[in-house]
Amino acid sequence: MNRQMYMQELNRLLAVVPEPQRAEWLYDYELHFEMAAENGVAEEQAAAELGDPRLIAKELMLGYRVNQAEDKRNVVSVSRAVFASVGLGFFNLVFVLGPFIAVLGVLIALWAVSGAFLLVAVACIWEGYRGEMFSTGQGFSLAAVSCGLGLLTGTGTLALSRGFMKMTLTYLRFNTRLVRGGRA
Amino acid sequence: MNVQFKKGVLEICVLALASREDRYGYELAVKISEKFELAVGSIYPLLNRLTQDGYFSTYLRESSEGPPRKYYRLTPEGAAYMRHLVLEWHDFTRAVNEIIEEGIR
Repeated sequence: MNRQMYMQELNRLLAVVPEPQRAEWLYDYELHFEMAAENGVAEEQAAAELGDPRLIAKELMLGYRVNQAEDKRNVVSVSRAVFASVGLGFFNLVFVLGPFIAVLGVLIALWAVSGAFLLVAVACIWEGYRGEMFSTGQGFSLAAVSCGLGLLTGTGTLALSRGFMKMTLTYLRFNTRLVRGGRA
Repeated sequence: MNVQFKKGVLEICVLALASREDRYGYELAVKISEKFELAVGSIYPLLNRLTQDGYFSTYLRESSEGPPRKYYRLTPEGAAYMRHLVLEWHDFTRAVNEIIEEGIR
């Protein structure tokens, strides 16, 4: 692989990274090739010493994803960071992705429960007005109880979700220090 | 050399090399690859992260030939972090050495 191919490949793999950042990263590698040439190292050899561009891109992408997740702190960005970390090795498949998906499942279930309570509240009011099962007053009281439970579960789940996202990020940061790097 | 070893020590090597004088990326890559084999491209993501964590500051300086070089300077936080890592490294290697010596004696 020569310099041009290497840089093209790296550029392609980093396509999702927005511009000032990507140019800055690529500049490091352009500069590396430049200095290798000054020192009489052939392009092919310099490319080989740098290592597989896919590996380099994965490392850079992990840094990018973790930063994004810390800025945005939502499920999508944190999940992306988790997947970027998984790309760097089997270790992360077991120790990051497994627990992440398990806890995410529990959180989704809790969200569903809280949503269900709110739906029940709506149904109670409807039943109170239209149905024969209970009076309007009963309907409203039941709705209030169900609504309260829904909000309570929702608030709790929100706190749990936030805590979980924060924990995942802290762990990812710690983890990137361990599982990083060269394959020479 | 074992890949897992190298992953862990790259950070300490980079910090230690930059503690004596400001270094540019290529220089660090060459110095480290002289001692052990590694995918030197991994140095740049590492330098980015350490810079972002505030352990390095960077500046561009013209060189007599070629494009301006990007230099990395260890910050006071970086120096403290390096000393911390070096202490840990010494403790760790001493312990491992003791175990190895007991084992193969």
